[in-house]
Amino acid sequence: MSIVTPPPPDFTSHEEGVPEFNSGTPSRTWYHYVLILSSIVFAAVSVGFIGTIVWNSLPDFAHHTGTLLGGNGWQSPDGPFGGLAMIVGTLETSIVALAIAVVIGLGTSISIVFILPRRFRNVVATLVELLAAVPSVVYGLWGFLVLAPWMLKTVIPWLDRWPYAKELFGNPGQQDGQSLLLASVVLSVMILPTFVAISREVISVVPHDLVEASLSLGATRWQVIRSVVLPTAKIGLFGATFLALARATGETVAVALVAGGVANVQFHLLYPGTSIAAWIATEFGEAQGNEVSALMALGVLLMLVNFGLSLISRALVIRQRRVLAVV
Amino acid sequence: MDQEFMAHVETKVSTPSEPLERGTAAMQLKGVAVSFHGRVAVRDCTFDVTKNRVTSLIGPSGSGKTTLLRALNRLHDLTPGAKVAGQILLEGTDIYRGDITVTELRTRVGMVFQRPNPFPTMSIYENAVSGLRFNGVKKKAILDEAAETSLKSAALWDSVQNRLKVAASNLSGGEQQRLCIARALAMDPEVLLMDEPTSALDPIATLKIEELMTELKKRVTVIIVTHNMQQAARISDDCAFLLMGEDRAGELIEFDTTEKIFNNPIDPRTLDYTLGRFG
Amino acid sequence: MSDMIELEEPRATGHHLRDEIREISDRNRGRRVIRSRIMVVLCAIALSVTAVPLVLLLYQLFRRGLPVILHAGFYTQLPQTPTLISPNATGGVSNAILGTLVLTAYASIMAIPIGVLVGVYLAESDSKLAASLRVTAQTMAGAPSILMGLFAFSFIVQDLHVGFSAIAGSFALAVLMLPVIVISSEIAVRGVPHTLREAGLALGAKPHKVSMKIVLPAAVTGIVTGIILAISRAIGETAPVLLVIGGGYINSWKPLDPVSALPLSIYENAKSEWPSLRTEVWGIALVLVVFVFVLSLSARIWASRKQQAR
Repeated sequence: MSIVTPPPPDFTSHEEGVPEFNSGTPSRTWYHYVLILSSIVFAAVSVGFIGTIVWNSLPDFAHHTGTLLGGNGWQSPDGPFGGLAMIVGTLETSIVALAIAVVIGLGTSISIVFILPRRFRNVVATLVELLAAVPSVVYGLWGFLVLAPWMLKTVIPWLDRWPYAKELFGNPGQQDGQSLLLASVVLSVMILPTFVAISREVISVVPHDLVEASLSLGATRWQVIRSVVLPTAKIGLFGATFLALARATGETVAVALVAGGVANVQFHLLYPGTSIAAWIATEFGEAQGNEVSALMALGVLLMLVNFGLSLISRALVIRQRRVLAVV
Repeated sequence: MDQEFMAHVETKVSTPSEPLERGTAAMQLKGVAVSFHGRVAVRDCTFDVTKNRVTSLIGPSGSGKTTLLRALNRLHDLTPGAKVAGQILLEGTDIYRGDITVTELRTRVGMVFQRPNPFPTMSIYENAVSGLRFNGVKKKAILDEAAETSLKSAALWDSVQNRLKVAASNLSGGEQQRLCIARALAMDPEVLLMDEPTSALDPIATLKIEELMTELKKRVTVIIVTHNMQQAARISDDCAFLLMGEDRAGELIEFDTTEKIFNNPIDPRTLDYTLGRFG
Repeated sequence: MSDMIELEEPRATGHHLRDEIREISDRNRGRRVIRSRIMVVLCAIALSVTAVPLVLLLYQLFRRGLPVILHAGFYTQLPQTPTLISPNATGGVSNAILGTLVLTAYASIMAIPIGVLVGVYLAESDSKLAASLRVTAQTMAGAPSILMGLFAFSFIVQDLHVGFSAIAGSFALAVLMLPVIVISSEIAVRGVPHTLREAGLALGAKPHKVSMKIVLPAAVTGIVTGIILAISRAIGETAPVLLVIGGGYINSWKPLDPVSALPLSIYENAKSEWPSLRTEVWGIALVLVVFVFVLSLSARIWASRKQQAR
């Protein structure tokens, strides 16, 4: 029941839990009032959360309309505050991380549901949970102190041997190995549990008699997975993808520790860069006045992206459940 | 005693249309037993399934009928801890130890399940030819011909021929089940296994499928599990009666032609069952 | 007519298709089976790859961090800055340990009661308000944690003029924990079989009494599990507290004082120029990870044990 568990079912179809709030003549006891009061507090906190950040970002939007998306670089303390480098960095790291996580995560989920003997399932589930429980900062630490040197020593010389490597990845930009590629790799490890948790659930609820029916026609195990199970679970798998992407965009400290913290718009993965969240984390401490507002504006942008992806994911997972209900 | 039922049985018995001489055996079972993690679920199954006849496996619930059926296309391979003992021969070849792979076996022995289960992401056409596609058949001419033949055999062609690309979930329950029958038939198997195919359907749909059987058995050998005695009496030529013993394992009590089973069985337990004394 | 060409036996009607199908099928079978085996192996490899980072990480944590945490001073001393004369004088992290405990305690006080109550409300109500709150909780649960820091900075540090303090950090963590507890509490209460509730109502008990005395006690396991997991998450979060707690270098539990926190000290010292500090950081990370793992695993074990007892 941590963040990596799949989103709860869509409770609008209520089989469980008698909705006593809707029963006949509700007698409003203090119990009800307490519950409603807490809900109001929760709503207030959520609204305050969004509102405060938006409110604080308004000065930046007023003074520097449009430059938030601009690539003029980020000049403290008075601006202009161009956020393009952060946006690009976020996109690059998130997408590369997603690509890695989806490939490995899908193979993992398929293994758990179809290949792994039943007695190992608990072990693997625990393993995935533990992966998810590791704090972000520890991943960042490991990435910076362990992965980075290793990549410098092993991976990058190996990459160099490929024909277009330099064009694609660039020369290793920073001595200590911080780069967008490193950030992507660390991110992929962090979002893997999210993807695996949801995709595993989605795959395992594909009705078993579809599996039996396809086997009875002479299909091989892979054919069953590829032609029946995955297509049936397709919508939910997209939901898992979007949620993993949402998580990747929001990761702060790990990226801050390994990406290099350089605000340049560039597409070479071996160069250092930054993401929106990481930039806010690193710059906020020293920021004054206008810069604070600009960072809040970045925060608004981050919120929009993350919330959007989250909501899309939720809608997809709900839709997947409806698809299966018809079967 | 159920008057209507007895009338049914008498109609069946008084007009034996099947020759009492056995033809060739499509499948032979010799001492077949199935156990899960050592616990025996069904045993002592020895009988021959004759070609182009409908053989039904009947008996109260828990008697191991479905377990036995699923051994015939090696579905128990999926279940860890499942062991199938004895011999099951398909046209003389041992399906477990003989010179035949599981995938090949399943192209020759098809299966229809209790609940209609067309592949939800595929159209009617795609469902019908899914077996062929799995097996690598790509030529449109073959696929089209197989689709038409099988859908006709399942008495579905007329109602779907103009909407073959429509999603299979648009069909009613009975039509979906007939689509599943067509899907299995498209592979032109020698044997068709049916696991209580009408128990999830309404009476009209049930009747339609029962009517198919007489036509179907000209092309395939049918082995059907049914908990509905009257259905067995109506549609099958041979019956295998299974019963759960004291050790909670199902066993074959009696195997004979349907008319013998229902009219003049050897074992008193068979008589008790067919007379509805327990269910 | 004896030298007539021998005619082939006409094949059985309708089975020419079968022969074609069988022939194509036999030809393809080997290839399909091999491909299936390869893909299965690839999937199994993917599974092993998933395990690799955890194993490597744990290895490094223990290898580099274990020596560090075996000194009592690690827990009891305040941090020091190493000097050229004594490059290994890093002190300890007592302020961070206390800080984490303090932050978590205050955050729990704020988040747990409200979170559980809202979760219960969501489980018992089907109103539009409940539906929107549910979406809100799920969305907030996935929100970037740095935003909680921005919120706390704006609201507590600035608007309320409290300044950098433990309470600001706790507030940020509470905002983080709240939606998580709401979601898990709702799931826990919904998990109670409705027959239990109906039995209570059938006995004539008032609905709210049934909720409080019958349904909630049955849901306690799930609720507590959710709380444990929320706490375990809050302990490890850096971003929410980074901006607002001030990195206090003293041991303090007072809400208005600046404090430190374990994840924060990792973040601050990970790139230190002093090797001794970089090593110490592994010790802090080890403590953090062990703590979080113990919490996660206990939650899991407890939940499953109660499940079996049912």
